[in-house]
Amino acid sequence: MLARLGLEPGDEEFYAEQLSGILGAIDRLQALDTEHIPPTAQVVEVEAVLREDEPRPSLTQEEVLANAPAKVDGFFRVPSIQEET
Amino acid sequence: MDPTRLTLSELATLLHDREMSASELAVLHLNRIESTDPDVKAYLRVTEDLALSQAEAADRALKAGEAGPLTGIPMAVKDVLCVKGVETTAGSQILAGFRPPYTGTAVQRLFDAGVVMLGVTNCDEFAMGSSTENSSYFPTRNPWNLDRVPGGSSGGSAAAVAAGEAVFALGTDTGGSIRQPAALCGVVGMKPTYGRVSRYGLIAFASSLDQIGPFTRSVEDCALVLDAMAGHDPLDSTSARKPNDVRKRLNDGIDGMKLGVPKEYFEVEGIEPGVKHAVEQALRMLESAGAKLVDVTLPHTDYGLAAYYIIAPAECSSNLARFDGVKYGISEQDEQNVTDLYMNTRRRGFGTEVRRRVMLGTYALSSGYYDAYYLKAQKVRTLIKRDFDAAFEQCDAIVSATSPTVAFALGAKTQDPLAMYLCDVLTLGGNLAGLPGVSVPCGMSGGLPVGLQVLAPQWREDVALRVARAYELASGMRIEPALV
Repeated sequence: MLARLGLEPGDEEFYAEQLSGILGAIDRLQALDTEHIPPTAQVVEVEAVLREDEPRPSLTQEEVLANAPAKVDGFFRVPSIQEET
Repeated sequence: MDPTRLTLSELATLLHDREMSASELAVLHLNRIESTDPDVKAYLRVTEDLALSQAEAADRALKAGEAGPLTGIPMAVKDVLCVKGVETTAGSQILAGFRPPYTGTAVQRLFDAGVVMLGVTNCDEFAMGSSTENSSYFPTRNPWNLDRVPGGSSGGSAAAVAAGEAVFALGTDTGGSIRQPAALCGVVGMKPTYGRVSRYGLIAFASSLDQIGPFTRSVEDCALVLDAMAGHDPLDSTSARKPNDVRKRLNDGIDGMKLGVPKEYFEVEGIEPGVKHAVEQALRMLESAGAKLVDVTLPHTDYGLAAYYIIAPAECSSNLARFDGVKYGISEQDEQNVTDLYMNTRRRGFGTEVRRRVMLGTYALSSGYYDAYYLKAQKVRTLIKRDFDAAFEQCDAIVSATSPTVAFALGAKTQDPLAMYLCDVLTLGGNLAGLPGVSVPCGMSGGLPVGLQVLAPQWREDVALRVARAYELASGMRIEPALV
């Protein structure tokens, strides 16, 4: 539900079985003592990256909307997400 | 001599000597695709008009004496790299019809260098897979044996180069998706250091692991293409400001160099005796070229696969949230309910492996499981990186097989995701640790190619390439297209 995948009938059993097999294989990690190991946040050394805040050319509204399945008045069109009050 | 059998460097000489025009070379390759690709199925789309117009421009540059080493060279591009106006779908139905409004940096730099794009190559959906059978369009076949897979996820790119349907091709490597298909198809393939090549314009799978790299028919060509793509890009904040020295001392040989042989990599589950034998012979040849082999250990190898299959799905579940039927691709329009729009679009658009990984990743990141899975995996990633750091204190580069097996039969692993995941067991450590790695063909087993993997410390593509080049010279190997 969280991933909004839209499962078909029967999918739940199919994936539950496969995922429990995969999670079983993944569970071997629990055997490692990692209490004092820091997690990898960045694999290569990086510095804070800043750039000048200057205007530069970007895609036009028309280009951005060219692939939109539904658009209206220069916007992406979606179903309403709030009830009218 | 059939030009579709020559290397990039040899063709560049022909073009510069005006013995052949770029337009003629493009047409030869388009013809080769027409005759060979119905069997191999490396391409999803052939961009004939683009190829011919780029070839004409290349001919003008050649005539004007403004040509570089890549001018007029025909290339294939994996279906995850955005090219303006050229349908790009990541092997997925969810992006059917998507025409990017811009060209990604790596491809643009090659265009600027005068390269000619022949078409878009097949891959596993969103680059998730090791056989190209997860493409939602069709499977690609191995040019050496059409009943076998080409590897994956960049299987179309590897097969195109192996079949003489492109001089070089671009792929992406998240857990082995360049090196493994290069090994299985008998060509050279390289994953650069994380941050060496800009990922701007790459449809993301797992952003902390993904890198773009080349497939070629020689190590020299590999260095040349990487050199043209590499370097800082203001549009990708993870692309590094590093001197571009990947071709440094390429032909200087490996006399006195120390090559680490990790015993764990020769004992992994499912490694075939024929693969092991070919790689051991390659090691002897490297020794005779002056290298010293040293035993090294990568003690957390057994945990790499498990860590990878948490981190990569976690990142993909986040990256793929953008495919919701609103901005691009297919859409199941729903007037009433935005959740139904998302659900129905993603149900229709995503294939089995993508759904599996999105579920796995969503689970690993969800509240209550985050510490046990995602955080744990990121800590194990640190241990794996430390393994490599320690090994590189004893050696200049690490050598092993690229893939534990040669190309397997189509369908052999499609019902068993864990068996498919094991294909990457020797390559994914390089991604977790951000290392550059190259796969170079090192003989055959049972009539199918075997790949030798060379891993080097971060930013030492030059070392990995020098070792691969020394092997290429010592073995006298010449990669010729498989004849299908």
